[in-house]
Amino acid sequence: MNLQTDLKSEHISHLVVSGFAQVPLGTSVRDTLARMRADRRVVCLVVEEGAAAGAGDGQEEDSRQARLVGIFTERDVMRKVVDVPGMLEKPVDEVMTTDPITIGPDASAADALRLMELNHFRNLPIVDGSGRLLGIMSHQAIIDYLADRYPVEVLNRPIDPERFPRKAEGG
Amino acid sequence: MSTTATDEITLTRKDFVSDQTVRWCPGCGDYSILAQMQRILPDTGVAKEKTVFISGIGCASRFPYYMNTYGIHSIHGRAPALATGLAIANPDLTIWVITGDGDGLSIGGNHLLHAIRRNVNLNIVLFNNRIYGLTKGQYSPTSRPGTVTKSSPMGSVEQPLNPIAVAMAAEATFVARSIDSHPQHLAATLKRAAEHRGASFLEIYQNCVIFNPNEWTDLSDRKNRDDSILYLEHGKHMIFGKNRDKGIRLNGFTPEVVALDEVDLDEILVHDATSKPLASILGSMEFPDYPAAMGVIRDVRKPDYAGELIGQVETAQAQRGAGDLNQLYLAADLWTVEEREITSVASDGDGMPITGLDEEYIDEMDKPEEVLSDFQDVLVTNTLAELRPKVPITVGKRSSLARTVRQMNQHNIGCMLVTDEENRLVGIFTEWDVLNRVAGLVDDLTQETITDYMTADPLTLKEDLPIAQALNLMSIHGFRHLPLVDDGGQPTGIISFRDVVGYLNEALEEK
Ligand code: SF4
Repeated sequence: MNLQTDLKSEHISHLVVSGFAQVPLGTSVRDTLARMRADRRVVCLVVEEGAAAGAGDGQEEDSRQARLVGIFTERDVMRKVVDVPGMLEKPVDEVMTTDPITIGPDASAADALRLMELNHFRNLPIVDGSGRLLGIMSHQAIIDYLADRYPVEVLNRPIDPERFPRKAEGG
Repeated sequence: MSTTATDEITLTRKDFVSDQTVRWCPGCGDYSILAQMQRILPDTGVAKEKTVFISGIGCASRFPYYMNTYGIHSIHGRAPALATGLAIANPDLTIWVITGDGDGLSIGGNHLLHAIRRNVNLNIVLFNNRIYGLTKGQYSPTSRPGTVTKSSPMGSVEQPLNPIAVAMAAEATFVARSIDSHPQHLAATLKRAAEHRGASFLEIYQNCVIFNPNEWTDLSDRKNRDDSILYLEHGKHMIFGKNRDKGIRLNGFTPEVVALDEVDLDEILVHDATSKPLASILGSMEFPDYPAAMGVIRDVRKPDYAGELIGQVETAQAQRGAGDLNQLYLAADLWTVEEREITSVASDGDGMPITGLDEEYIDEMDKPEEVLSDFQDVLVTNTLAELRPKVPITVGKRSSLARTVRQMNQHNIGCMLVTDEENRLVGIFTEWDVLNRVAGLVDDLTQETITDYMTADPLTLKEDLPIAQALNLMSIHGFRHLPLVDDGGQPTGIISFRDVVGYLNEALEEK
């Protein structure tokens, strides 16, 4: 048994993926940052039309129908915004990555991971056939999958490894 | 149970971690429950000094030691009774009762019933592992018939109790269920229990790796669990399955599992957490005949016990004035009991006989853990050093924000370690901090010092720890980077989500 065998058999829709912030095209970088902070998301999807509501939890809302045109992440904030004067008032369109590669919910987790490694992506938007934005695939989803898959080994460990009892007392 | 925070208190998980060594067996599901409890409590906004954990006796009942709040490790089965008294004496407290299937349903069965029936404002959490763990493996009131244990060598002949049905019988206003191996679900359900005012009853399926390790396998197996669990959401159809292709329908009074493509969606039951009959039906659905219902089964508002009682006292006082306890005592018939000469009974006063039995059990527990698969072996035996952690890039703690950001961009890293004069790690500063606290919020990066923006005293690991330890911290807390330090606290490396996933993805790769 290895991880690849597991990941090949799991659809992305079987994983718990991350949510995202969402803003319409033309939003200023300043407002985009505010949206990401308010939603506590490291990824913001930039869309054309449609309301920019929700933090990406609900999968059934209409706001998800907006068309994806770009992705803007914390890495972009780091590299293109934080110490570049005058960026805050520019539209997010200028700093986002346009037409990001996406993946469908029925693709396997292994495929998603391969795509991410190949392109050095840390975040991969998940979009279904009708264009609904479903979430963000990231390494976190795999970490969480592993934790749930091997709870005895991973979850049920002492918080502080320095204070591991030398002998278990059965409680 | 809800308490409104009077002052703005921002606590973190660390505030709830005590300095006690956790004494559960490695691999015990209690660890997961503890971690989630410590994680959600800051979100409830209740101050530490307003929080009390009361337990009875058993493995689960060691819980209060590990919480940095008030706590009482009380008498076997009596935690609900003690907690009831406390809730009346000080209605401002947020009280958690931690119990197990033995403590709560056998030894303290009646106390549990009455605390629930009275709707005392408590959060009662029952860890159900279907075994007596602390006393080393006898069948419990929730063990299934036929369970072979040391006290039932030919299989238990008893009918088990169903904790949800017990709570329903006691008219519980909040009934929920979750499982230790599903941390997201567990955290969300704990939060719901905390929010409810009145008695909240939460059953958690918990893995006793030592004495009953296979009890919840079907429900905890990540690959198949979604076929065995019905996640409840108020107002939503009862649809389940890994591919969400099955549903629950009522046939007369009996629920049945149907394939979604064979029925109309409106035949499928819709969850209503305010419906008592529905809660009883959900509670009666036993796995494997049905999927196990998880989440909030029932949630209704009723007056809570302390509120009603205190209201009556106030009314009585308004009508008749404050009472006088002394006067009440003296109003009764009184007499004095005289002391008499007692003939003393001889006793050798020595301790209990040593049977040697315990040694045998300890030996059994010391047996090396069975390694189930090569991959699990990799998780627990391969160390973090094998990930070849990146050489850490550091800045001194007096550095400016501008310098830190420049360095991070130069090295193309998302996480900077901050050190003091002796090169000891004092903080961590990540891209999220840049987004959350700096970009667009700080005008002049050269004027600000990194120490005001970093996370101080981050959790660290040592290189010789197993990979599973890093996974644990990453999954429970969502830490994307973990600094590694040596014994002197100097950083030796840094690992990220990506490093761990990358390494494990290639581990045992088929050639
Ligand atoms: S005996 Fe079982 S329940 Fe008790 S600490 Fe050990 S694994 Fe946990």
